[in-house]
Formats: sequence, C-alpha cells, structure tokens
Amino acid sequence: MMRLMPFFLALLASLAAPAAAERVTVFAAASLRGVLEDIAASYDGEVTLSFGGSGTMARQVSAGAPADIIALASPLWMDWLAEQGLITADSVQIIARNSLVVIGPAGAAPLAGPEALLLRLGSDRLAMGQRDAVPAGAYAQTWLRASGLWPDISDQLAETDNVRAALALVARREVPLGVVYATDAMAEPQVSVLYEVPQMNTGPIVYPAAALTTNGGPFLAYLGGPAAQAVFAAHGFRAP
Amino acid sequence: MSVDAAAWDALRLSLWVACWATVLAVPLALWVAWLLARRDFWGKSLLNALVHLPLVLPPVVTGYLLLMVFGRTGPVGQVLETLGLRLAFHWTGAVLAAIVMGFPLMVRAMRLAIEAVDPKLEEAAATLGAPGHAVFTAITLPLIMPGILAGAVMGFAKAMGEFGATITFVANIPGQTQTLPSAIWAALQIPGGEGQAVVMVVMACAVAMGAVVLSEALARRVAARIAGT
Repeated sequence: MMRLMPFFLALLASLAAPAAAERVTVFAAASLRGVLEDIAASYDGEVTLSFGGSGTMARQVSAGAPADIIALASPLWMDWLAEQGLITADSVQIIARNSLVVIGPAGAAPLAGPEALLLRLGSDRLAMGQRDAVPAGAYAQTWLRASGLWPDISDQLAETDNVRAALALVARREVPLGVVYATDAMAEPQVSVLYEVPQMNTGPIVYPAAALTTNGGPFLAYLGGPAAQAVFAAHGFRAP
Repeated sequence: MSVDAAAWDALRLSLWVACWATVLAVPLALWVAWLLARRDFWGKSLLNALVHLPLVLPPVVTGYLLLMVFGRTGPVGQVLETLGLRLAFHWTGAVLAAIVMGFPLMVRAMRLAIEAVDPKLEEAAATLGAPGHAVFTAITLPLIMPGILAGAVMGFAKAMGEFGATITFVANIPGQTQTLPSAIWAALQIPGGEGQAVVMVVMACAVAMGAVVLSEALARRVAARIAGT
C-alpha cells in the first residue's frame, strides 16, 4: 500500500492542477490595456492578455482564436458574437463603464460648453476615433450630433484608427482638441480635460465581457469582484 | 451616405492619390536610380540605404516618422504650412506617404534597367558628337523605358495598397483621407460590415488586375518599338 502512495499523490496532484494552474487567455479591447495588466498581475493564476480593436478581437474569436474570455469596448460586437452562437447573451457581464471627455494640451483653459468647442477649434482639426470603426469615435459622433455641432465640425475631424492615436495627436500638439475616454486622458500627463461629455449625450459606455470556455469562468468572476473593481476605479473607470 | 457612395469615394480618392504619387515620383526615382547606377560619390551607400528604408521599416513607423517631420509641429511641416501647404490629415499627405513607400520599388526597377544598358552605346553616341542630355534622351531613355514603366506600375500599385503609413500620417477621414484600404479596414470593424468590405475588395482587385494588364501591354509595345528601330 505504501509503495502505491506516490502514485496516488501524483494522481491527486494531476486532478487538482488544472483548476489552479491552467493558463487563462483574455482577448480585450485596446482601451483596457493598463488596467487589465494591473489586474492580471494581482490575480492568483497565469493570465495571457491580447489587446486589439474590439472588431478585430471579436472576428479572431469567431475564427477560432484560443481565448477563454473576451472583453470589448462595444456591446455591438458582443451581440454579434451571440448571433454567431459563440456566447450566450445571458453570460455577458458588464465589467466597467467609461465616459467621454474633450481634451486639449496640458494647462489649456476649460471649455464652458459644446458651443465653445467650435470657437476654440478655429480652422484646426478635432481628433477622435474613426466614426464607424472605433467605438470611442462612434460615441463621439453620437454626442456631436446630439449637441448640434456635427454639421459644422464633420469637415474638421482627424479620425484615427484607435482612440489612443487620437490621444497622442493632442499630446503631440498636432491638433488642439480631441475626444477620448476619461481613462485615456488620465493616462496621459501631456493633456488636460477641458469638458466632460454628459452621459445622456453618448448613451452608456460599457465594457461587456463573457467567458468563452469554462476555464475562463474564475477570472471573469474575479473581474467583477471588489479587488479588480478597485483597480478599475484607480484607472478612472466607473463601477458597472 | 449609402454603402456604395462611400466605396466609390474611397476608390476615387485612392486613384487620385496613386496617380499623383506616380507622376511626382517617377522623375525623382529615375534621377536617383541613374545616380546609383552610373555615378560614384561620397555617401552613395548611405543614399541607397535611405531609399530602401521604407521597404524594411514597419509602415506604421514610416507613418509616424512622417508625422514627426511633416506634421504641423514637425520641422518641415512648420515651414510648409507658412507656404500654405498642409500635409497632415490632408490628401496631399496621403500622396507623400504613397511616394515614400513606393519609391524603393521604383528605384530598384529603374536602376536594374539602367545597369543593363551597355555603356559602349552611350560612349559611341558621345564620340559622334552628341551632348550628354542628347545621349540620355536618344539612347539611354528608350532602352530603359520598360524598366521605367515597370517601376511606375509598381509604385502605382504600392500607392493603391498603402495602409499603415497612410492611416498613421493622415488618419481615416471619409471623403478626405479615407483611401480604399482604410475604408476596407473600417468596414471590417463594424458588425456586419462584410458586405461593404466585399464591394471594395472587388474594386481593389479590379484596379490591380487592370494595372498589371495595362503595364504588360505597354511593355510589349515598347519592346516592339525597340526591336523595330
């Protein structure tokens, strides 16, 4: 019996191991970089993070990418994944919220309201994410339409392939104003927030996440828990 | 704007940018190719490396360097802006990006053609009293015409397909700087955007096929003319 002991121990270890040491792969929207890296570092388990545009990530998952969790900046792509049958709609969980801000170079005077934006812009351009392709750009377009600025400003945009590129254009003083997420503005010391876009003008800006495999379940639960939510708050995200 | 109108806008802009890039780059590429093929000077290998840089750098890096140098705060961009020429976030910047990215391909094709010309033909013309520029236009130029055409078509094709440097330098503004590759990329970022993307993919394939067929036909005519004289 004693001679079989190591064998039993090994068997037990092999049964216990997958739950504790299995690597979790997360495909996430680019605007979650930073915060997810911090959360993964504090998590008791191995997490592999892959970042990209929400559309790119969703298409890769649909094409069979080995992801356990997908976290996106746009509910539209979650709906698309549900249509593909890759996730069930009720498994989607909102892990964070964000808001939109108008930024300018560090130290610039705040804008009194949306109307002041055109005056400040003059003949220059406003940097934002691409209106169709980038979620932050779509939210910005919704707000600019709601505030009546769109007809005047649509010829003066610098639309970028991701929201961080719009942030960089303002930080480099290539353009005087930009529309980015509040969390982006917080991450860049070269810019100041000049105006906070009211939530009612953009609609809710939410980050939905879903587990694609049972292996992804524990980390997804961790993302909704108090430890991870504290990190989200420290990065400027709002509670779900 | 309907799906097709946006696609046609992108196609029109891409063709416009590619034509300008080709027309502007060919004379410069020919001169650089001639320098590299026929002249020895200090810094020749440096010039050669510089010309080839966009071929080996990631396009995003080339676009970022263009923004640093030709952007509104860049050293060259500031000077150009006082002259009234704006490049960043403007279709003219897309032309610049296309020229820089296509330049190595043009120079390579033209340089090979120039090196293939027997210098004795040029020397013979010179000993018969032809001045330097006449030797070039009467002897060298007709002989290297297929190489120039090949280089121009390569440059045009590169300009039609350029994405990374263009989107980094001039962004992705529908109707202003949204070229066909940028529009295809944008369409694929929207759920259900495949239909629109397919329309533009067909356009891109048609233009590419057309350019290759046209260049083959031109090359045959030039070859026939050279054989005939």
